[in-house]
Amino acid sequence: MPAAFDEAFLGKLVGRALRHGGEFADVFCERRRTLSYRLQDGRIHEASYGVTLGVGIRVVVGESAGFACSDDLSESALTKAADAASLIARAVPAGEATPIDLSPARAPSFYDGNSADAIDARRYVAMLEAADAAARRYDPRVVAVNAQLSDELQEVWIATSEGRLVRDYRPLITFGVQVVASDKHERGSGYVGDGGRTSIEYFDRETPEALGEEAARIAAINVAAIPAPAGEMEMIVGAGGGGVLLHEAVGHGLESDFNRRGTSLYSGRVGERVASELVTIFDDGNLREERGSLNVDDEGVPGQHKVLVENGRLLGYMQDRLNARLMGVESTGSGRRQSFRFAPQPRMCNTYMPSGDATVEEIVASTQRGIYAKSFAGGQVEIAKGDFVFMVGEGYLVEHGKITAPVRNATIIGNGPDAMMKVEAVGNDGRLARRHYTCGKGGQYVPVGVGMPTVKIASITVGGTQHG
Amino acid sequence: MDESAAIGLACDALALARDAGAQSAEASVSIARRFHTEARDNVVSRLEGSTGKSLFLRVFHDGRKATLSTSDLSRDGLRGAVERTVAHAALVAPDEYAGLPDEVAREEAELRLADPQVALREDAEKVDEALVLERLIRAADARVTNSSGSHYTDAVAVTAIANTNGFAAGYGWTRAGRSTGPVALDGAVKRIAQYGTAARHLDDLEAPDSVAVTAVRRAVDLFGARKPPTMRVPVIFERDVAASLLDDLFAAVSAANVAVGNSWLSGRIGNRIGSELVTVVDDGRVAAGLGSSPFDGEGVPTRRTPVFERGTLRSFLYDTYYARKLGAASTGNSTGGGVGPSNFYLEPGSMSLEELIAATPLGVLVMDTIGFATEHASGTYSRGARGFFIEGGELAYPIDEFTVAGQYTEMLAGVDAVGNDLRFDAPVISPSFRVAEMTISGN
Repeated sequence: MPAAFDEAFLGKLVGRALRHGGEFADVFCERRRTLSYRLQDGRIHEASYGVTLGVGIRVVVGESAGFACSDDLSESALTKAADAASLIARAVPAGEATPIDLSPARAPSFYDGNSADAIDARRYVAMLEAADAAARRYDPRVVAVNAQLSDELQEVWIATSEGRLVRDYRPLITFGVQVVASDKHERGSGYVGDGGRTSIEYFDRETPEALGEEAARIAAINVAAIPAPAGEMEMIVGAGGGGVLLHEAVGHGLESDFNRRGTSLYSGRVGERVASELVTIFDDGNLREERGSLNVDDEGVPGQHKVLVENGRLLGYMQDRLNARLMGVESTGSGRRQSFRFAPQPRMCNTYMPSGDATVEEIVASTQRGIYAKSFAGGQVEIAKGDFVFMVGEGYLVEHGKITAPVRNATIIGNGPDAMMKVEAVGNDGRLARRHYTCGKGGQYVPVGVGMPTVKIASITVGGTQHG
Repeated sequence: MDESAAIGLACDALALARDAGAQSAEASVSIARRFHTEARDNVVSRLEGSTGKSLFLRVFHDGRKATLSTSDLSRDGLRGAVERTVAHAALVAPDEYAGLPDEVAREEAELRLADPQVALREDAEKVDEALVLERLIRAADARVTNSSGSHYTDAVAVTAIANTNGFAAGYGWTRAGRSTGPVALDGAVKRIAQYGTAARHLDDLEAPDSVAVTAVRRAVDLFGARKPPTMRVPVIFERDVAASLLDDLFAAVSAANVAVGNSWLSGRIGNRIGSELVTVVDDGRVAAGLGSSPFDGEGVPTRRTPVFERGTLRSFLYDTYYARKLGAASTGNSTGGGVGPSNFYLEPGSMSLEELIAATPLGVLVMDTIGFATEHASGTYSRGARGFFIEGGELAYPIDEFTVAGQYTEMLAGVDAVGNDLRFDAPVISPSFRVAEMTISGN
């Protein structure tokens, strides 16, 4: 541990930050090491090593926050950062700096990790080569395989003006395989990623070969895919990655900053019906190994299981400390930041919908004309009106109750509450998606998880090119 | 900011790389002082100011390449990280194309990258600017009742690059920006917009009242928006949205994507792809351009590269590695770790946006998009959109919750009118332009 992260010194720093006053202050210390290998053209193309080391200091006064960070861990530089953060309260003259007594707090661990420092890097290389070989074996039309494995350890120490000192140690592995396939006429690509807050042994279960084959399978399907249709139609959202829909259509709109400020369409609507009765949505920081799980969030608050929507009714928001305080509730352990260089924001962890009763066969059979989206390349939402998009990675036409042709990737657009009201069947096959999603908000990127059973939406707009 | 401090740090890292056994190496260091303030109504809701350092190092050994990116520039921290990086290179496959560039910048270039006024501004003045924007958006329209915040940001920085062939140079740069996010109420429907301006020089920023008016217009003009019918129509992309299409186009001409088969333009140099109006340039030497620099991330001099000339694909954009691999010369587009744009833009035409609209009997004006679904291998484009339906050369009614989609080959061939509203307010930019026919999907 760097000397600057010493308990007594952090207590002094928190006290210093509150010299002009303020409701609370926190000091976020981070040391992160990331090792990654990248494969291209069938061989290891590059090894990368990354180190993030620094301290972020925040002072909160009402709805205002002062923030400063430093990658220089000298006493003088950190004191200067504390003074810069305290300027948010500069209307009040500086008083004596009173050190805060910190007492270490413990939280249970939801991670299955061991130190990346101890891993023989030859294992990473062998895994990348295995994924490459499997993808090329799968289909002769595979023309390129790009794969990357990154193994990260983020250690954080969070000291608060209430006297809490929390340490967390967060592993995160990401293995991504991108495949391009081509015939004489068309190209198509497929991407698969997996990993989580786990150790490399995870890939004994979810093998590199299986990831390579899956990416190649999607790429080959996309080569043969026909252009997607355009217009309103029925939609089957596939299990697992379909959770991107929840993340965009509902999740962001329930983050407490937007709601406290009244900029979200869900502002002031707790208790109201916002979705079909079939819809229940959780956000959970406590799922073992998942990308979005946190023993404690980046404000030192333990991760939690939150019920956001229950049988269609909005139950609550995801809260960080600043917004929870102003809304008169407790933090839900949703305060997250990309790194020490950023102040925290309320964010999602792992957002998912539990299983319902329908079988996938029933759902497909009930669909006259629609799109069945099996994998998802991501999404985006505009939180004021609630219009969202999500992008299909692997999709099929459904005609008269049968899956017919694969279609080229298309954007699906809908309005959050409108689409959620139109959920007319929820499958019995709920599961978390393969773990590779990263969420961006206000320029900060954090790992998240999503999950979903197969869900049928009565109508939604599919943004392909084939009209009529 | 002191260039020599950054050059010194880069040279220290090179010495450590040599000590650790690297045959050659290149280090780039940036030191930046960043400021950000946000106001909401009459409250200063954020005040952030910090100085940060970062180092990016590439080491080469027998054609094996490894990289390090670190914010730990302490002597011991850096030594340990450099040793690990050199050790990691052992598992990388030898690659005949990996290595330092053959040609590096020899001359100074005066590009007006730094405005001394940025460093001299008082915090109080910057905070006031955000507060003023909050007042301006509320004054512009009574229906603006709230905001997601108004911002002022700036950065004063130096970037230095050094390599073991003896190259060592640095340059200072500044950047400032103001932006605002008005929220307007339309019955029960909230409309949020975001608009801002950025420049290297304070004098080049769009004035606060103009920023406020444009942001508010983007929110309130969409009042009463409906979903358009699904159809094929001419589509005009307004400036900022047009720039996002240029982002896609950059990805397609980036040699890093071309080399791995992830570009619909692979193997098509010399082919006529776009219409006569499609002339696309990457220029690293635009005075005060946000994508300008005297040399790229490897120290290779920046230049002006014609990418499309009157529709014909002339060149991809390369760093040293991908240039060697694809049998070309670097175009000065290295970011250090990959290939990036300088100032990448579509050459403007002569029509104003208003004239473009007036020349469109029936069509759609796209003012904003959401999503990022472009499949680069096949060039398939699809986005959520909002804007206006155009009838008889006039904006007939606002539309939203629809998508716009097409294939890039057809879209570039279909560019049939280009606006004159190009502004150098980001590295990838474009004037507004019209595509003869695309599919919009709504009702």
